[in-house]
Order: sequence, then structure tokens, then C-alpha cells
Amino acid sequence: MKNITSFMVILLTVAGLQAQELSLTGYARNYTGVLLQGDHEFSIIQNTFNLNVEQSKDKVAFKVNPYIYQYSNQGLELGLREAYLDVYFNSIDLRIGKQQIIWGKADGVFITDIVSPKDLSEFLLRDFDEIRMGITSLKADYYIGDNTFELVWIPTFTPTKFAPEGSIWRPAMPSFPLQPVIDHSKETVKSSLENSEAFAKFSALTEYVDFEIMAGYAWDDDPTMHVVKHMDFSNPRQPVLTGITVFPEHHRLTIGGGSFSTTVGPFVLRGEGAYYQGKYFNSTDPMAKESVVKKDYMHYLLGLDYTLADWHLSGQFIQQAILDYNESIDKDRYSNMATFLATKDYLNETLNLSFFMYYDFNNKASLVRPKITYDLADDFEVLLGANIFTGTSGMFGQFNDNDMVYTQIRYSF
Amino acid sequence: MKYKVSIFLLILMAFALNAFAQEKLSGLQVMEKVYNRDTGNDMEANLTMTLINSSGDRRVREIKQFLRDFGKVEKRIMFFIKPADVRNTSFMNWSYDDPNKDDDQWIYLPALKKVKRISSDSKGDYFMGSDFTYDDLGDRKPGDDTHKILREEKLSGEDCYVIESIPRDEDYMYSKTVTWVIKGKWIGLKKEFYDEDGDYLKTLHIEEYQNIKGFWILTRVKMDNVQKKHQTIMELTNVKINVGIPANKFTERMMKRGLK
Repeated sequence: MKNITSFMVILLTVAGLQAQELSLTGYARNYTGVLLQGDHEFSIIQNTFNLNVEQSKDKVAFKVNPYIYQYSNQGLELGLREAYLDVYFNSIDLRIGKQQIIWGKADGVFITDIVSPKDLSEFLLRDFDEIRMGITSLKADYYIGDNTFELVWIPTFTPTKFAPEGSIWRPAMPSFPLQPVIDHSKETVKSSLENSEAFAKFSALTEYVDFEIMAGYAWDDDPTMHVVKHMDFSNPRQPVLTGITVFPEHHRLTIGGGSFSTTVGPFVLRGEGAYYQGKYFNSTDPMAKESVVKKDYMHYLLGLDYTLADWHLSGQFIQQAILDYNESIDKDRYSNMATFLATKDYLNETLNLSFFMYYDFNNKASLVRPKITYDLADDFEVLLGANIFTGTSGMFGQFNDNDMVYTQIRYSF
Repeated sequence: MKYKVSIFLLILMAFALNAFAQEKLSGLQVMEKVYNRDTGNDMEANLTMTLINSSGDRRVREIKQFLRDFGKVEKRIMFFIKPADVRNTSFMNWSYDDPNKDDDQWIYLPALKKVKRISSDSKGDYFMGSDFTYDDLGDRKPGDDTHKILREEKLSGEDCYVIESIPRDEDYMYSKTVTWVIKGKWIGLKKEFYDEDGDYLKTLHIEEYQNIKGFWILTRVKMDNVQKKHQTIMELTNVKINVGIPANKFTERMMKRGLK
């Protein structure tokens, strides 16, 4: 608490001294959610202060984005979402520091958009700029007309941030015959030059089509769960399972892919796909070492946006296909998912209705997110929404007990 | 908020002085003179929109915009400044001379940190909650309507042609418009809009126009929607014409960088 207070005092003092030149923007927000099942516990009561401090002078600029989450029951969380320096040359821009890097044409789905890791503390329910974690990196963009070459070097790997133990958003562990021991000794990727990540992208924005081609030499943001079974062979005829140790471990991934977006009459057609080499999947094959197998897989999407009677509609179909598949793998060969968005404005755009859903075909599960947003005044918005999970398994079904309604009240400045 | 556009161009109905102002003109010729005026090669300006509801409550939107004519394509880029929750959003529009080619439009949403291509098909949408549709702010071609001079009369001390324009497309959002065009100056000083049912919908009033570097610029206009009892006032300030805006202003790079 003391550190946070000191930090804010310093920040605001500096901001005050420099106020004539600095740009200070951001928002204050109250976010309250209550579960629909059980005893109607509050799923979240959070107060947020988000500040963007920016300044630019001719060829240079900087941005710092501190944020504070204050919870009614868990104290304070302070962080820097971004903190970077910009240098602009004629045809080259450099950005150095902690930054969010977003690629691809997909909405709400991560295919080539894998540079910035995700913060899943509240699953996928937060705003996208809050799900994206900034990563300390060097980004260089070289521009020729409407074409851009982008190189990103990330010296230190940052994994996905999952909800902590005890949270209702903690992903379900696979079931084991015995309570496993989790050994995190192999989970950390040591910070070294050899362990850094690199990404490259070529993109173009033209009158016919926008497209991106990308490649990456990265770490899998999600750890593979290596399973070591301890057996008692004192009776060779009937070995007994005496313990299970799970070692979460990150592995290297090589990724190549691309995306496009174009208009076809009144439609906007979008596509995105990537080939992932070196992914580890859990396997039930007793011969599989540590119950994992290494396979390549593909992940791709096709989307269509359209406006009908002032409703802005958007649909996406997403498929993940594991290559050289065998039945022992704990995931289906093909994983199929769809998203659908419908949104419409009323009252001179002061009232917005929105409906968004993910549908997981394999598990017959979904996440449905209706919401109403009303601008009580310029810069002051009130949101009422719900998050409804259906199904019993898979990415969404596992949270079937977490249906909630929530409000967000936000003042932007 | 609506991002499609072809916005602004309050310059819409301005025009060049014409030596043949006194000759007998048809309704189509009058509207062509309004349409074909020279607006210079490029322009930058601040645009302020004040939205006023029936209770008199005001909401203000501020935009910085740049426009350049590249010959076969006209490119515009807009940076949203107010309200705060849309700050750093930017919008780009490429409009082609080819009548068979639709505009290309993109929007950069800072929360998503990416540039999205959007469809330019919904020109009947209202721009940023104002009383202007995207089509009102664009440059509707005279050939899209049939025009008739109803009468000649004085308005605000100016001699005007009163032109009735009826769209050739029966499904167009307006069944009819009536425009008061100042003789000799060729500015549309006032324009009435009638909805699809033929009922009076709204009126555009030109409240101020200036001659900047030889070009007539509408610097303050008001749209009064009588059906919704809602008004929008648009003002252009810091207007700069032919300042040599570089071609790379109209790129994804600048959409992301914003006004830095």
C-alpha cells in the first residue's frame, strides 16, 4: 500500500510539474459482478484507476500506462500495462520498452496474435486491452508506402497469467487417479539471450485487400503438463501407482501464418491462419514419455462482417487441426468454434445494445455476453451486462457455475 | 459511434465564382456547379460537433482531419479528440473517382490496437450520433438525382435558386431534398430533407462561410432534425488549404501514431 501511494504521489507530482506538456488520459471505473447460482456471491467488486501519461517532441515520444485494481477482499494490484519510448525516423519507427503488440484480423481469437501474452485472471471477460499483457521488447517498423516490415525481439519470456489458486476462473486440472503433486521447478524459462523470442511480420494495406504474413520463434505461452507416475514394483505382477507428479514446462514453438481482410460488396471478409510447429499435447498413451506427445497443428479462421437494419453483425468460424493425429491425444483432432457479434446504437449513439457469443462445437458449450451501455454524459458511461456459460466441459463449459450479471461505471478523462 | 465516413466536407456545397452566373441554367446545371467546385489539393482543419437534444443538453465531439486529392483517389484521415473515451481513435477513407468503386474505409481502435477494414456500405448511418448521415457529409453526385428549379427567391439577403432534387433510387433514405443555392456564389445556403414517406425530416442551415485562399469554405452549419427534436452544429476552425500534406499522412502508420 505504501509503495503504491508513493508511486502515485511521484507520478502525479511529475505529471503536475509537466502538465503543460504531458497528455494525461485514462479512466476511473467501478466493476461489480454477482454470481447467478448458489448464494449469489459477488464474483468481483473492483475499483480501477487507469492512467495514460504521454508526451511527444518532434521525433521522440514516450508513454507510461500505470493501473491500479482495488478489490474489496484482496487488497490492491498495481502494474504498468505499458511503458515505452518511441523514436521516429523517416521510414523507420522504433519502440523500446514494455508494450502491447497486437497482430492479425481475428476478433476475440488468438491465431497469429501471439506476441503479447494473455492475462486470464478473469478468463476472457476483461476488456481486450486488459487481457493483453505488455511485454518488454524492441519493435522496429520499416515503411515503404502502404507496406510495413515489423521485427520484434523479446529478450525475456512472459507466460500466460492464469487466475490464482482458489479463483473461480482457475482452469480445471485434468483428472488423475491420485491427487498429483505440482512441481514448478521446470516452469520458469531462464532469462537469457538463447531463450529470447523473435517475431517478424510483413503487412500491407491496399485498396483491394489488407494482409499480413508473419513468423515467430517463440515459447508456448501455456505450459505443458508433464506427468510422472511413481509406481511401486515390490510386487512385479501387480505394480501399484503410489504418486503422480506434474511438471508444468514451457516449450519452444515455431509459428508461421498470415491474415487478410477485404470488402466484398456490403460484406467485410476476414481470414487468418497459422501453422504451429512443436506443440506438446497430453496423451493417454502409456508409451508416451511423461504422458505428452509432440505434434504440429494448424489454427485458422474465416469471418464476415455485415450491417443489416442498423445492426452491425459479425460472425467467425474457427478451426484447430492437429496433424499426424492419434487417438491417445487428450484433444480432438479438429476443434471447431464460432463467434457471433450483434451491436446497435440508439438515441444518437448514447445507448448501445451488444450481444457477443463464443460457441464451442466440440463440447457443445458457449459463453454468451449481452450488454447495454448508456452514456449518462460525455465521458461517463454505465454498463449492465451478463456472462452466461453453457455446457459442462471445455474452455467455456468448465465455468458453467460462473454465470454472472455485472455493472461497470466508467468516467473517462 | 459510427466510424464510416466520408465525412465532413462542410465544403460540400461551396463553389467557384462563375462568369456565366446570369445565364439561364437548369436544375442539374446548378447542382453540378455546386458539386464541381475546386476545393484545393489538400486541407486540414479542426471539426467540432455539438449535439443538442430536445432538453437542451449538449454533447461535444472534436476531430482533427486531413484531406488530400491524389487525382484518381481522395484520401481523408480523421483523429478523434473528444469525448475522452474515443480519444486516439482514427478513421481513414479513400474515395475513388471510378463511380463503380466503393470507398475503402479503416478504423483504428486504440483499445484493440489494430486497424480494421470496415464496409462503406451504410451511408445512411448517422455520423458519431449527430444528425448528419455519412451521405449528408459526402459528395453526392448530381446524376444520382433529378433536379428541378422550383423558383428563385431571396434568403438571408442572397438571391437563390430553389432546387428540388428527387433521387433516382426509390429506396434512398430521402424521398426529396430542396436546396437554396446562392446565385453567383453557388453555395447551398439551406437544404430541406424529406424522409422515405415524404414527411419533412430536417433542415441544413449554413450559418457561416469564409473565403480561404480563394476557396469557399462552410465554417459553421447546423442540422435541425424536427422529427427527433435534435440538432447538430458543426464548426470548422484552423482551416488550412494547400499546405502540402505529405502522402504518408494517409497510412496505417499514422492511424496508429495519431496526432503525435
